[in-house]
Amino acid sequence: MISRQTILAAVIAMLAVCIGSAAYAADPKCGANTGKAATGEPIVVGGIVSITGPDNFSSSGLAAAAYFKCLNANGGVNGRPVKYLLEDDAWNPEQSSQVAAKLIRDQKAVALVGNMSFVDCGANQGIYEKEDIMVIAGVGVPRDCFFQKNYAPTNAGPRVSNTKAVMDVARTYPGKIKRVVCIAPNIPNVGEWSCTGAVAWIRKQGGDGKIIAFDPGSLDATSIVLEAMAFRPDVISVGTPKGLAVPIFAAAEEQGLADKVHFAGPASLYNPDFPHAIGKYWDGKVTVDMELNAATAGTPDTQNWLAVLDKYGQASDPRDTFSQAGYLAARVTAETLLKMDPAKIDRASVTAALRNVNRFESDMFCSPWYIGSGPRHNANHAGPVSQVKDGKLVPKPVCIESEDPELDDVHAFEKTIGIAK
Amino acid sequence: MPDFTPFLVAGLATAATYVLSGVGIVVLYRASGVVNFAQGAVGALAAFISWSIVERGGPAEWSWIGGIAAAVAVSFLYGRVIAPRLAYSDPIMRAVATLSFALILLGFMGYVWGEAPRRLRLPTDTMSFDLMGVRVTMTRAVAFALGLLVTCAVMAFLSYSRVGLQMRALASSRELSAMLGVRVFRVDGWAWVISGALAGVSGVLLADLQRLSGQALTFAVIPAIAAAVVGRFASLPATVAGGLAIGVCEALLTPVPIVGPFRTAVPFLFAVGALLWMQRKVVFVYR
Amino acid sequence: MTDQSLEGVPPIRAARLPLRGIALGVAALIALYVLPDALSNYWLRTFISAAALTIASLSVSVLFAQVGMVSLAQFGLLGVGGWFALRISHGLGVPFEIALLSAGVSAALVGLIVGLPALRMRGLYLAIITLMMAGAIQVLISAFGFPDGGPGILGKSTGARLMMARPLIAQGDGAYLRYAIVVTVLCYLLVLAHVRGRPGRAWAMIRRSEVCALAGGVDIVAYKVWAFALAGFLAGVAGAVLAGGVGQLDGSAFPASQSIMLFALTIVGGAYSWFGPIIAGLMLRAFPALLNDFRVDGNIATMVFGIGLLHALITAPHGIAGQLSDLAGRLRRAVGGERKAGP
Repeated sequence: MISRQTILAAVIAMLAVCIGSAAYAADPKCGANTGKAATGEPIVVGGIVSITGPDNFSSSGLAAAAYFKCLNANGGVNGRPVKYLLEDDAWNPEQSSQVAAKLIRDQKAVALVGNMSFVDCGANQGIYEKEDIMVIAGVGVPRDCFFQKNYAPTNAGPRVSNTKAVMDVARTYPGKIKRVVCIAPNIPNVGEWSCTGAVAWIRKQGGDGKIIAFDPGSLDATSIVLEAMAFRPDVISVGTPKGLAVPIFAAAEEQGLADKVHFAGPASLYNPDFPHAIGKYWDGKVTVDMELNAATAGTPDTQNWLAVLDKYGQASDPRDTFSQAGYLAARVTAETLLKMDPAKIDRASVTAALRNVNRFESDMFCSPWYIGSGPRHNANHAGPVSQVKDGKLVPKPVCIESEDPELDDVHAFEKTIGIAK
Repeated sequence: MPDFTPFLVAGLATAATYVLSGVGIVVLYRASGVVNFAQGAVGALAAFISWSIVERGGPAEWSWIGGIAAAVAVSFLYGRVIAPRLAYSDPIMRAVATLSFALILLGFMGYVWGEAPRRLRLPTDTMSFDLMGVRVTMTRAVAFALGLLVTCAVMAFLSYSRVGLQMRALASSRELSAMLGVRVFRVDGWAWVISGALAGVSGVLLADLQRLSGQALTFAVIPAIAAAVVGRFASLPATVAGGLAIGVCEALLTPVPIVGPFRTAVPFLFAVGALLWMQRKVVFVYR
Repeated sequence: MTDQSLEGVPPIRAARLPLRGIALGVAALIALYVLPDALSNYWLRTFISAAALTIASLSVSVLFAQVGMVSLAQFGLLGVGGWFALRISHGLGVPFEIALLSAGVSAALVGLIVGLPALRMRGLYLAIITLMMAGAIQVLISAFGFPDGGPGILGKSTGARLMMARPLIAQGDGAYLRYAIVVTVLCYLLVLAHVRGRPGRAWAMIRRSEVCALAGGVDIVAYKVWAFALAGFLAGVAGAVLAGGVGQLDGSAFPASQSIMLFALTIVGGAYSWFGPIIAGLMLRAFPALLNDFRVDGNIATMVFGIGLLHALITAPHGIAGQLSDLAGRLRRAVGGERKAGP
């Protein structure tokens, strides 16, 4: 009797396993996709994000962590697992430089992946260059992130993003958009810089633009909105982190401005919570840029990203555009490592191999992405935009190429590696 | 010349929240000799609890009451448990201790709620009227009215009620009042309750007018302290005037070129100016 | 409301200072030779910051313990020193030492302005007015931003950012930590020279009673101003050491609340003791780093910090250094007692 019960239990268990795997038809695909856990000597990869502080800025690192977990469960890098160490810099350059030293010098990371921070690029530029380590960032924000030889973000950056949002509004209402106000926090290397692209573009079209840089510590959103309105703009771009944008939209709602001016914003507002946070009043009235294709696009790579997060991430990890960026950063690194001889993976060889990535495709990008050996990296400069509708961010089926004059050298470089014609 | 009226109207409501916090700080300082740096953090806690209640589908009125009650409870708890242990240390140490209380609250709020795009909504947000060409929501009008009403109520309480009388006695001399039979801890407790309630109201209003963020609301205590400084930590009418002046000046400077970016320095300039004016005669500290 | 900051101030122990000096020297030598090699790179950078914060805490304790004045603006002055160090280093390409000194001098000048109200007031009002000045400094710093190698007065770069040049003899982190420790020791010696000299005696009189000091022929205004200038100088030097350690600074890192933290931890560390500022420096930088290393959630770390601060304020009015020296005294007595009990 006992043996029969055991057999029965075994059969039931096998059935359960079969049903279970059938239910996981959309199993995530990572690396070699062997389904076997990697057991070799770990390859150390680091990541710096800002968890504590004015905003939790970590979704890119969390997505990279989920991808590497998935990779390790699927054969790793030719049998070697990736040991991914995520550190918090708490929005503080001092702490950022401390954790960079820890990851690069103490833990001997071969590369940093999925970084997402306001302070990391500036604080650690020195150590990145000195140690010649490549950073495949998820999300670069300040100017420093796009002007370094060793820092390649998969996102587009606030400047490109702002420009695209304003361009889309101008194209949707041809001939109507002449004056632009761009609101940004006066964080050095972020605020002014993120707005000058949009302003330069509108001036080139014969219009005029104004930048309002405000102190994020000062809260008076109404004053900021009124100051913007004093310029008599046709479009206001709210180029701030999402937490700061909510009160600005609230103040604009108080003044009933949605019918007088068009509102736009960069990808920092592209967050599933955002339409809910600003409320029903803004339905159909805000254009939000996207650095990558929509989370709901349903394309294979997007589905894979969601599957990776569902299986290997936490339910609380955000599924936003920054998470996509972190996933892509992890994917391009993993695929580069897979092409290398697993015995000869060290920092120098990884840096060289990453600099050799001259084409990387994903259906999340509008055009192929690359790292290349150029003196600076801003490969992602084309993407779609979305509109706030019915409590959701509904993507528009377009790809907008940012026409920011600052990107001229990037376009020139792309010709040399055959990305642009 | 830019048009200043909209900025004036906008500034008045913000100023009212400074007034509420400032009055709370002054009342507490007069009764118990503590400059409360945690005023902003207590208000932030009230706002977060209100937000949580509304998010879970609770009725709006109860959410405010719940938030303000939590603020009162937390403030009273500190006043009853921690503050007496520091009663005989230096006033600066007592002030610094409230800063550590603010840190504890800040860490707690960061851990429980985190920083996300949030805004507390009040039903009064959708009602509005036009004043001098600017749309004024009911919330702003309510904030302004509350600022003045509450100050009058507190002043009447201090002047006519027994506890108020005892508070004024404590302000003159703690030791003498204790000898005369004033129950110091009980009166202290009342002061902490009033300060907590004012912090709660001010926090909920600020979270609606501006944004719901632990860090921002916690450090909104600085303009409130500046307002209290203008009132020398003693005079309520002067505190009200100071709070209003700070809030309005800050808003009015917005459209002024060149000075605009530095407008957040207004509270500090006011406080420094007021202190220097008050102490314009050379005095020695006799001991 | 009386100012009780003087209660429990021990009499000046100038006669015992050489012993302390020797102890300090030995501690510094150990720190100098053993520490940098024993630490991982993470801790190297953490200790560089801790050394800078020790100097900053020293500047608070000079004002508080020597003159009996409270300044809640010292962290803002640290930012001022860092600003000038970066600007001078980028703009003129001078050696680090000159940038360091000019940072100290410029912060001393600003510190002087911060200290002017101290001529008229003390106690809580002085604390609040300095706090308001710290707030004003914060607004200025966040409006201007820190220089990063560009031209002009503000030095804002439009291309790549430049890092501040470190001293020629201390390019690596280990060497720079040694350098920072030497600078810290020099700052201690500077303070020691003041305390043991004429200013120290004048400060002691002012601290006891301004009227007595006046009667004793002490130039109160000059010595108070001098104390604030010295404290400003130390804070500026600390800012330059910090700027050299990280290579650049961020405007958001110098809020007024940090100035209160610096003061609070100086008290918790023990302002009346020579190793109080060292404890304060370690608690401000090494303790959070330790929590971060153990992957404690940053918000929990903030709470732990607040609880620890509250606990220390309630239980240890003389700070951790006071508790340690009490402990040492008890041990000494116990050892002495044994000796007496012997043959």
